Amino acid sequence: MAAWREFLHSSVYLKLFWKSVQMSLIVSAIIVVLAYPLAYYLALSGTKRKYVLLLVLIAPFLTSYLLRVLAWKVILGDQGVINSFLFWTGLRSADHPISQLLYSRFAVMLVLGYVWLPFVALPIFVSLESLDRRLLEAASDLGASRLQAFRRVTLPLSLPGIMAAFLFVFIPTLGEFVTPSLVGGPSGYMYGNQIVDLFGTGFPDWETGSVLAIFLFGVVTVLTVVFARFLQPRQVTAG
Amino acid sequence: MDVALSRNGRIALRALFVLVVLFLYLPIAILLIFSFNNAEVPSFPLSGFTLHWYHQFLTNGDLRGALQTSAIIAAISSVGAVVLGVLASVALTRRRVRGRAAVSALLLSPLVIPYVVFGISLLLLFHTVGIPRSILTVVIGHIVISLPYTILVLVPRLEQIDVSLEEAAYDLGASRLRTFRSITLPLILPAVVSAFLIAFTTSFDEYAVASFVVGTRTTFPIYLYSALRFPNQLPQVIAVAVVVISLSLIVVVAAEVGRRVAERRLGALDSAG
Repeated sequence: MAAWREFLHSSVYLKLFWKSVQMSLIVSAIIVVLAYPLAYYLALSGTKRKYVLLLVLIAPFLTSYLLRVLAWKVILGDQGVINSFLFWTGLRSADHPISQLLYSRFAVMLVLGYVWLPFVALPIFVSLESLDRRLLEAASDLGASRLQAFRRVTLPLSLPGIMAAFLFVFIPTLGEFVTPSLVGGPSGYMYGNQIVDLFGTGFPDWETGSVLAIFLFGVVTVLTVVFARFLQPRQVTAG
Repeated sequence: MDVALSRNGRIALRALFVLVVLFLYLPIAILLIFSFNNAEVPSFPLSGFTLHWYHQFLTNGDLRGALQTSAIIAAISSVGAVVLGVLASVALTRRRVRGRAAVSALLLSPLVIPYVVFGISLLLLFHTVGIPRSILTVVIGHIVISLPYTILVLVPRLEQIDVSLEEAAYDLGASRLRTFRSITLPLILPAVVSAFLIAFTTSFDEYAVASFVVGTRTTFPIYLYSALRFPNQLPQVIAVAVVVISLSLIVVVAAEVGRRVAERRLGALDSAG
């Protein structure tokens, strides 16, 4: 119990948790907003190759996670692809690389967004694809513009897909520790890193670490139960 | 008039789609380019073509050992996850299970449990029970992680199959096992193969949970993670990355094509039967 009291009274852990919540929220929101039009295009534009294009979009998600993080490490570093390109073309002098690219909160959020973007498109696509086009035709016959039809018909009907997509990214990124430890540096340090470090080799404190882990587990469980109706397995099993 | 998209809207969305696909594949393309670049540090300008880094990783014993360990773990855990997944899915779709919703929620819960929490729980469990960390502990962790994916693939397929086919087999005197072997299993085989591939790739790539319960034999992701901290290893890691990513893309495309072909054939069978 002492460990719990310490946890709840120490502003350090709760602040860090709040910082991780913010980072995950921002990442999830941005990629859902970005993925929605893509899913909309695939599901409703009537393109014949929608499943092929969907596979093109999702395939990166099915390749190695660590290796995709590695790619960004190569791209963002002080001597990395972007900076060396800028030196080479003379846009920036070699003494002054853009050093905020790697080992920053920005890097963590960029990489998390990159890693999860393909996956987010899937639940939204599934919900839009099951939309009955006749509803849109009816709206149009009744004089609704495309925007009105979208706001009053399409968007509300795809809301479950949006919620599912959001939660399926928010929940895993909240406890993320691999990406921040590879590209985050001190400013990209997340709650998950704190848990790992408490179980690490330096100054292990399994008791506090367990408290932090249980707290995260509790938050995730509450989220899952509250939003259970959006987290149906069907949301991620596209035909 | 198209009710979903105006002409300009369609063009705009297509452009966005192309941009996002470029964003997704450009980092992979950059790895491909620099895997052939003749320099210790991956940076511009490019300094000539070499196969040195590919040769280096092929002769790196530690790396090959790690790949081998991961392949063994992925093979065992994916078979385990598929077997358990088939049993669970058949029970969930064919039997009256008491508390079906709760059981299915429990089976799928690893999807929403943060890996760091799961990894630590396993570590503490093995520590308390006194099981030393080894290949086996990683296998157990990976089975739990991949099980939900196998169920997600298998249940929809089982629900599609006409139950009367199985009932006909019972009526004709086949045992439950015989019915499963000669009716159900062939019909769900494409889904079983997908489930196996998903479980295999999940395990092969898994770092977070493995990092807590790994024994003395390093897995490939754990090798990668530690290699990323040594700049002199970076070029050969990039070469490995290109090989692994290419292989997994090929498997993904092949699996998808195969599944479509098989399901179309079985779909024809279903409607004929």
